[in-house]
Amino acid sequence: MKMTHVVAGYPGMIECEKIILAMAETGVSFIEIQIPFSDPIADGPTIMEANKRALLNGVTTEDCLKLIKRITKKIKTPILIMTYFNIPFRYGLEKFCKKAREADVYGLIIPDIPINEEKHEHYLENCKKHGLHAIQIISPITPPTRLKKIAKVATGFVYCVSTFGTTGEKNKLNPKLNSYLKKIRRYIKIPLALGFGISNKQQISTASKHADIVVIGSKIINLYNSCANGKISAIKNFLL
Amino acid sequence: MKSLKKYMFNKTGHFGQYGGRYIPELLIPIMEELETTFYEAIKDSSFKTELNNLYKNYSGRPTPLYFCENLTKKLGGAKIFLKNEGLNHTGAHKINHCLGQALIAKRVGKKRVIAETGAGQHGLATATVCAKFGLDCVIYMGTKDYKRQLPNVFYMERLGAKVVPVKDGGQILRDAINAALKDLISNPKDTHYLLGTVCGPHPYPAMNAYFQSIIGKEVRKEIKPDYLIACVGGGSNAMGLFCDFLDDKDVKMIGVEAGGKGIYETETKCDHAARFQTGKPGVAEGFKSYFLQNKDGQLKETSSISAGLDYSGVGPQIAYLKDIGRINMTYSLDKDVLSAYEMLAKTEGIFAALESCHALAETMKLAPKLDKDKIIVFNCSGRGDKDLFIVSEKFNFNIYENDTCGRRISRHDRM
Repeated sequence: MKMTHVVAGYPGMIECEKIILAMAETGVSFIEIQIPFSDPIADGPTIMEANKRALLNGVTTEDCLKLIKRITKKIKTPILIMTYFNIPFRYGLEKFCKKAREADVYGLIIPDIPINEEKHEHYLENCKKHGLHAIQIISPITPPTRLKKIAKVATGFVYCVSTFGTTGEKNKLNPKLNSYLKKIRRYIKIPLALGFGISNKQQISTASKHADIVVIGSKIINLYNSCANGKISAIKNFLL
Repeated sequence: MKSLKKYMFNKTGHFGQYGGRYIPELLIPIMEELETTFYEAIKDSSFKTELNNLYKNYSGRPTPLYFCENLTKKLGGAKIFLKNEGLNHTGAHKINHCLGQALIAKRVGKKRVIAETGAGQHGLATATVCAKFGLDCVIYMGTKDYKRQLPNVFYMERLGAKVVPVKDGGQILRDAINAALKDLISNPKDTHYLLGTVCGPHPYPAMNAYFQSIIGKEVRKEIKPDYLIACVGGGSNAMGLFCDFLDDKDVKMIGVEAGGKGIYETETKCDHAARFQTGKPGVAEGFKSYFLQNKDGQLKETSSISAGLDYSGVGPQIAYLKDIGRINMTYSLDKDVLSAYEMLAKTEGIFAALESCHALAETMKLAPKLDKDKIIVFNCSGRGDKDLFIVSEKFNFNIYENDTCGRRISRHDRM
C-alpha cells in the first residue's frame, strides 16, 4: 500500500486538488494533506519550501478544511490531515477535530504532540471523541518502554520514521529496516507505515517488503517541480 | 505557598500551562537523556565544584555590581545599580549556561555541539567553550543577524566554529533555532544542542535558568534590591537575575521586550518583538508559550534594533510568571534604546549591549519616579562592542564609505 502527501495550497489550491485527484486515480491507499505551518520542524527543505509558498499564497486553515471537504466528496481514498500542533491549538482543538470529522477525515498526523502532553492537551481524547485516528509516530531510537505506551493508544496505523533526519529524499534506505520494523511489530499489532526519504521505485519495492504502507512525500513535490510540463502525469506515472 | 524557585524543577517541564516538550518522537529519548544527566549533574558535588571554578577562573565571576552614581544623580530618583555581566569572558551572560552545558555534554561523551545565535553572543560563548573542551562546533545564525553582528562571526570562526548562515524565513533567531533543531533530528546520537536561552523543549528552560541563576545569587550577597529590571528576548538573562528573588515578595521585577519601531504589525510581520503586547499562547520550536502569530497560528516575523531580542517566542517560565503577576512586562522603543546607550556611555563610561539598553531605558524612565532610598538593579547582560556597526550607522558615523572612484574605503584611509 502507498500513502502520498501534498501541502494544501501548493502550488495553488486548484492545482493541489488536481494532484490529489490524480493520486487517487492511481489507487494509492491513503493521502496525507498537510495544512501549512510557518515553523515545520520535522520537515526538510522541499516540504518546508512548499509550506512557505502556500502561506505566501494566503492559504488559511479554513481554506484547507474546505479543500478537504470537497475532496472527500469526490474520492473514496482515506484522507489524513498532517500538520503541526499550533494549527489545531489556535483553531480550537475540539472544533478542529469536529470539522475534520465532518469532512470525513480518516485521521490526524501531528509530529509535535507526543503522548506525554496528553494530560495538558487532551489530543488523543479529542481525536477519539470525534472518531479520528490519532496516528502515532515512532523513530529508530524509540525505546521498548515507550513502544509499549504508544501501542496502547495507537489506532489506524503507526507511522515509522525510516531514519534520523527530517522529511526529504535520501540516497539510501536505512539498511537495518528489517530488524527495525521487526522490533516494532513485537509491540505494535496494527499496520506499519514507513516514511521519510523514500524517493525511487526501487526503494518503494524494498520498503514494501517490510512495511504495510510506504509513504511518498517530498518526492512528489520534487517530481512536480522538476517537470516543465506534464507535471501531473509525471506523478501518475511514478505512482502506477 | 509553593516556592517559585523550586517550581523550575517541575518534572513534566510545564510552568503552569506553558513549557513542556512539543517535539517529534525522535527527539524524546534525547531530551529524556539530557534531563536525567542534568539532574544527576547538579546533585554531584564535583560537577558543582568544577562549574564554580570555571565561573571564577575562566569567566571572571563574580561580576561587579556597580553603583551608577552619575546616572543616579542625573535622574534624581532611585539608586541605580548595574550588574555588569558584560565583564564576563566573551562579553555577556551567555557564558554562564555555556559552561554548564559544556560540562553536561562532556559528561555524556558528546563530541559535537551545535547552537543557534541571534546577537552572536551565545554563538561566541558556545564556540569559546567548544574550543576549551575540544568539541566540534557548528553555529546556526540567520543571514540578517550574520550581517549585522559580523564581528561575532569573525570571532566564532577564529575559535574554530563553523558558522552556518540560515536563509529561511525572516533570517533571524527563530530560523536559526529551527535549523539547529533539524540538525539535532538528523544527528541525535553524537550531538549536543547547546540551546542558548530559557526556551525550547524541557529541560532547556529549567536547565538554563539554573545555570544563569548565579547572577541573582551574586546580587543578593551584596544588596537588597527593590526593583530588578532585565531585557527579555528568550529570557535567559532575566531569569538569571530574577530566579533567586522569586520568593522575595517585596522585590518587584520588570521584564523589558523589544518595542522596535512601535507596536504596529500586519498579518505576517511585526515592527516589534513585544510578545506580551500582542502575542497569544501557542506551540512552536518545541514548547508552549506566548508567540507573535496571526489568527491561524502562523508565527510572524519580528523586528528590533537588537538581534538578541528579535524573536517571536519567549521563555515559558517568563510567560507563567507574567500570567500569575509575579513579573511585569513592558517594552522599550529602538529610539529610546539608543538614547539610553548614549547616556550610559557619557555618564558612566560604559557601553552596554543594545539588548541590555532596553532594560536601561526602562530603568531611566522608572528611577525619577521613585524615592531616593529605593534601589534598582538592572542587568547589563552584555557589553556593547558587538554593536559597533549598528550603532555607528544610527549615529551617522560611516566606518566605510565610497571614494570618488566608487571604491569602499575605511574612514581611516581617507584621513
